[in-house]
Amino acid sequence: MAPKAIASPIPDSLYPTLSIINLAIGLILTASFFIYEATSSRKTRSLAQELTTGAVASVFLGFGSLFLLLASGVYV
Amino acid sequence: MMTRLNLFLFTFTILSSHLLSASASDLILTKVDRRIDLSSQIVRTTTTLKVENTGSDIVSEILLSFPENHVNHLAHLTATLNEGRGKAKTSSGVGLPVEVVHPKGVPPKLTIYSVTLPKGLGKGDSLTLDVLAVFSHILKPFPEKITQADIQLLLFQESAYYISPYAVKVQSLTVKLPDARVESYTKLEDTKLQGSELKYGAYENLPPFSYLPIVIHFENNQPFAVAKELVREIEISHWGNVQITEHYNLVHGGAQSKGEFSRLDYQARPYVRGASAFRRLVAKLPPRAHSVYYRDEIGNISTSSLWGDSKKTELVIEPRYPIFGGWKTAFTIGYGLPLKDFLFGLDGKRFLNISFGSPINELVIDTLIVKVVLPEGSKDISASVPFPVKQRQETKFSHLDIAGRPVVVLEKNDAVPEHNEHFQVYYKFNCLSMLREPLMLISGFFFLFVASIVYMHADLSISKSSASYLAKIQWEEVQATVRQVHNIISRCLTTHDKLEASLHDLSRTGDVQACKATRKSVDSSLKELTKELKSPVAFLQSSPQAAQILPKVEEVIVKERDLQEKLMAKHSTVVDCYEKKLGGREIENRVALHHQKIAALRLEIDDIMDLIDEI
Repeated sequence: MAPKAIASPIPDSLYPTLSIINLAIGLILTASFFIYEATSSRKTRSLAQELTTGAVASVFLGFGSLFLLLASGVYV
Repeated sequence: MMTRLNLFLFTFTILSSHLLSASASDLILTKVDRRIDLSSQIVRTTTTLKVENTGSDIVSEILLSFPENHVNHLAHLTATLNEGRGKAKTSSGVGLPVEVVHPKGVPPKLTIYSVTLPKGLGKGDSLTLDVLAVFSHILKPFPEKITQADIQLLLFQESAYYISPYAVKVQSLTVKLPDARVESYTKLEDTKLQGSELKYGAYENLPPFSYLPIVIHFENNQPFAVAKELVREIEISHWGNVQITEHYNLVHGGAQSKGEFSRLDYQARPYVRGASAFRRLVAKLPPRAHSVYYRDEIGNISTSSLWGDSKKTELVIEPRYPIFGGWKTAFTIGYGLPLKDFLFGLDGKRFLNISFGSPINELVIDTLIVKVVLPEGSKDISASVPFPVKQRQETKFSHLDIAGRPVVVLEKNDAVPEHNEHFQVYYKFNCLSMLREPLMLISGFFFLFVASIVYMHADLSISKSSASYLAKIQWEEVQATVRQVHNIISRCLTTHDKLEASLHDLSRTGDVQACKATRKSVDSSLKELTKELKSPVAFLQSSPQAAQILPKVEEVIVKERDLQEKLMAKHSTVVDCYEKKLGGREIENRVALHHQKIAALRLEIDDIMDLIDEI
């Protein structure tokens, strides 16, 4: 069996685009999270909604910042 | 100098007198061609031996001997079988195993290496062996100290006869010198200097261990770049990059510079007043190298140039000052390489296949440390290097690491460009481990969100019984209740809309039964909503803080009830008319009044709702 070359799972050239898209979605979700925090009062706030928004936002921010690091040459 | 040499020769002759003549004497060397390349700081000796077995036993190993003063500088030794003849000769690439042996009866000043043949040499058979020996630090500068304006002169000692435990029939020696002046050389009978080539021989029928010292004193202004220590760090990222960082600690290993250095002289005539110095180094990087940088301890050194094609990338770097004999410089170069050129998968394992030595041309490295940094989560690590090296493992902490990355450290002393061979590091890696880094980032952000949720939920006031604190709590409750009321009213309004929609459907389809059913469900849901409304309103009435907002809330409730009644009335009228099968115009006339009132009420309610919402 001949050895076969291993490349990265996502082509390098896509990193900047992916970074921008993920970070944009992540930041919008973050904004909605904090708007919700600021406008709702203690009685009306729902913990589940806060956690869901936070979790989804952090997934997008996490991948966005990973691709940002990769695109800027910091190969983690 | 000469006394020492004579002494050496003397000891040698004495030792040679009682030589071994036992096992090795079956072999004779029918022809020996030696070529010594002195054109750079690295001395390469290529010896072609034609070996013939005259005895009756099968011989499976051939001995090579080197004098002590050469062995100490021997950096690389390979022996390959040379098959075929004339121009079509092909070296069978793979080197034969070579090891040090200590046979009896050999002069102590000699070190013997044994080359194991792949198959024994029978009686009367012959073969051709190519031996390449590479020496570093063997050229001695003489004089040892020179000024800026002097040229660098070097001494090289060799034997005009090939030192061998076997008798040699015919032999010759060719020394290739750099294209420069030859100060002096030992003149023997058959010595010829043609251009930059010095020829000794041919000599015929010499007994074993024949020795005839020669000394060549010549000019060589090649860069004597010696890396005291080179640390190469090769970091693999499975996200598509192999990052190489090389830390050089470089010194000019030639004749020491003495006296003062004049930059003016050097600048005016660099090739005369600074002939022995080197000002630039050329590094041949692999193709598709990117993000190349060159810096020393205090920052970027801009004097460097880079160009590349599909086969290589060439980097020319200039230190901050010309390097004269004994002068030092330390710098770092780094570059990234595409992962797919160097990382391969085989049978569930991954391996890195990359060259071992430095990319800089004709560099002698005293201590070469190659560190291969594997991604976090690599297991079953093993390295395979084509020559002996010291191996150990350590851990490195880099970006986004928890347990640290496993590092394979390979250490080699006396490395020369011949050691620039590919080596492999095998390891096992689970693809899911790649998700470690993003998961860390994600959990970092999530922690931030959780922290802010906790902050918003936590009650941080110190005095829980103060009036202002209680008032705040009450006000918050009032706010929440008002919001609840607002919510219920808006649900009422949507229920109203449903009723209106059913009327609209009726006018289209004429299905009175469906309309009635909707009416029933709307009635019940409205009743429930009214019930729900009771407790918040009661709370608002009892709370002193709600005094301001209470009238508005009550007003909106009253108006809503009014609207509800009007709507029901309208609905009943319309349904009635349909049951009596009255004409469209008739229905419109009857409903018109209701219609206006409903619209007006709706507007008022919306206004008040907005007001409440703002609170």
